[in-house]
Amino acid sequence: MADPLLTFDEVQHRHTVPAPKAWKPWAKRAGAGIHGISLSLYPGQVLGLVGPNGAGKTTLLRMMAGVLPIHSGTVTAPTEDRHSVAVEDLRTWAGHMPEQVRWQGAITVVDMLEQLSDMRGQGHHHLRGLLNLVGLHERAEEPLDNLSQGMRQRLSIAAALLGSPKVLLLDEPFNGLDPVAAEAFAALVRRLAGKGVSIVISSHMVTQLEGLIDRIALLHRGQLLDEGPLADVEKRLALDGRYQLTGPGELDDTAFLRHLDTDVLTTESNETSWSLMVRGDAERVLQACNDHGLSVASWAPVKPNLVEWLCAATGMSLDDISLDVASSAMVPMMAMEAMEDE
Amino acid sequence: MSDLRRILKVAARLRNERLVGVRLKVMLPILILFLPGLAWGFSDPSIVLPGGHQPDTAMEVLFYASLGVVFGATMCGVLMAFDGVSKDRASGMLEIRLAQPMPRQHQAAALVLGHAQAILIPVYTLLILTVVVVRFRMGEWPTLTEALVYGLSTGLIVLWYTLFALLASTTAKEQGTAIAFGVGVWFFFTFLWALVTTMVAYASGVAVGEPNDPTWVALEGMLDMLSPNGVYHHLLETQLPTVDRGIAAWQAWSAALLWTVLPWWALHRRMEALVP
Repeated sequence: MADPLLTFDEVQHRHTVPAPKAWKPWAKRAGAGIHGISLSLYPGQVLGLVGPNGAGKTTLLRMMAGVLPIHSGTVTAPTEDRHSVAVEDLRTWAGHMPEQVRWQGAITVVDMLEQLSDMRGQGHHHLRGLLNLVGLHERAEEPLDNLSQGMRQRLSIAAALLGSPKVLLLDEPFNGLDPVAAEAFAALVRRLAGKGVSIVISSHMVTQLEGLIDRIALLHRGQLLDEGPLADVEKRLALDGRYQLTGPGELDDTAFLRHLDTDVLTTESNETSWSLMVRGDAERVLQACNDHGLSVASWAPVKPNLVEWLCAATGMSLDDISLDVASSAMVPMMAMEAMEDE
Repeated sequence: MSDLRRILKVAARLRNERLVGVRLKVMLPILILFLPGLAWGFSDPSIVLPGGHQPDTAMEVLFYASLGVVFGATMCGVLMAFDGVSKDRASGMLEIRLAQPMPRQHQAAALVLGHAQAILIPVYTLLILTVVVVRFRMGEWPTLTEALVYGLSTGLIVLWYTLFALLASTTAKEQGTAIAFGVGVWFFFTFLWALVTTMVAYASGVAVGEPNDPTWVALEGMLDMLSPNGVYHHLLETQLPTVDRGIAAWQAWSAALLWTVLPWWALHRRMEALVP
C-alpha cells in the first residue's frame, strides 16, 4: 500500500456549550465532540465515514478541512525521505464539501467560483474545466437562485475541487440527489480517486457507499470504533461470509448444518416457505441443504447495514444504541477553557 | 498573489455584489434626502436655526448637514453589513469560506473593506454633490482641508458602524438578532446618547442643557468621546474655529483611532473563533 497522504493521530475536538452561572451567565464549557481519532488517508482511496446521526462525522470532516481547530493530537504528512512533518494548515490540503449549502443570490455560478478562487489566491483559468467536470458548464452564467438541488450539490463539489486538493472531504454528498444524479456523482468520485485524490465520504446510509469505498471508518459517539479496508473490518466484526437462503416448503430443523462449522444466524419458516441466514462456507451449506432434501430457491450474500455494523462494533443491541444521538455518557465532561463559540 | 491584493480582490467582489443589490436601491433615496437634501436646506441664505444662529461658512453648513450622515449614512452602513456573516452562516456558505486557505484575519479585513466600500461609494458621491449644492446656494467652496477632514471623518463613522454591524453578524446565530443588535447600537448612539449625557450631567450637578454653561459644554464634550457620533462631531469641529468644547484636535483624532482599532481587533478575534 502507498504511504498515507495524511495521518491523524489521537486528534480531538470538543464543542463548547453554554454553561451559564449566576455570576457568569456567558460561561461555556467543553461539551461533546470527537475523541482520540487516529486514521490515515491514502492517495486514490475512498474512505467511508459511517455512523448514526450525532456520531461526529461532520465534526471530524470539519476538523480535517481546517474549519474547526484540533484541540489535541497531531496531523502529519510524509516527506520524500519517509519522515513525517506536522501539517500546519489543513485548508491547503483539503477541499471540503459541506452537507447542505443553499447557494443563493443573484450572482452567477462562475462568479461564485471566481470569488472562491480569489480567496485561494488562484487564477480563473481552470474554472471552465472544473464546470465541465461536474457537468455545470451549461449553467455557468445561471444565477445561484435558479439552481436545483442537484445542481447545487454539483456546485458544492466544484467549490471543493478548487485548487486541485489532494484530499476531498464530502459530507453526506448523496442527500437530495435523485438516483441518476447519485450514480453520476459516484462515477465522478471514482474518477477523482483514479486521479490519486484521497476522498472521505460521510454517510449514515452504508448502502449508498457500497461499491464506492475502499476503506470504512465506523464512528459512534465521537469515537472511532474500527477502521480499515471494508473486507478486513467485516471480518473483524464477524460480518463477512453471510448468506441468505430461501426456498419453498417448511424448515423443521437446522441441526443438519451443525457439523459444517456454520453459524445459523436467523431462521424463519412457515407452511409455504423458509429463509435462513448463515455465516460460513456457502458451497458446503448449499450442498448440505440439497443432501437434506431442501429445495433452495434463492441464495445471496448479505451485506451488513449501519445498525449491524454498529451493533457488531459496540457489542450493544439495537435497543442499547437506540436513538440517543447526543448522549454525554461517553464524553468526559471535564472543564476546559472555551476556545470557540457555538 | 500578495495578501493585500487578495484581500482587495475579495473585498471588491463583495462590494460589487452589494452595489448592485436591491438593498442599496432602497437606501439611495434616503441617502439623497439626508445628504444633499439637508445641505440644500441648511445652505438657504435666509435660514435661521432654532438658537437664532445663521450658518455663514461652507464648513458650518457641512457641519449641520452632517446630521444626515449620522442619521442616514450610518443606518445604511448597518443595513448593508448586518448579514455580512450571518447570511452565510444560515446558508452554509460560511463553512465553504472558512475552508478556503485565506487567513481568517484577511477574510475579516475583506469583509470590512467590501461592506464599507459598498456604502461609502454612494455616500462619497453624494458628499461631492453636497459640496456642489453648498457652492451653488452660498457661492462658497469649503477649503481643501475642510473637505478632506469632512470626507475622512464621514468615512470613519460609516466604517465604525459597519464594524459594529459585522461584529453583530459574527455573534448572532440568525439574522434577526444581527440586525437587532446593529440597529440597537445605532439607536443607542444616535438617539439615546443625549439621554445618557443628560443623566451623567444631572448626577454630576451640572446645569443640564444650558448651552452657555462651560461645565455643561465641557462635560458634554468629554462624554461625546465615548460615542462614535460624538467623536465624529469632534472631528468636524476641528475645522470650526468658533467651537470649543474642551477637546483638542489630537484628542479627537486619537479617539477616532481607538474607535477604529478596537472594533476591528474585536472582529478579528471573533473571526478567529468563528465556527460554522
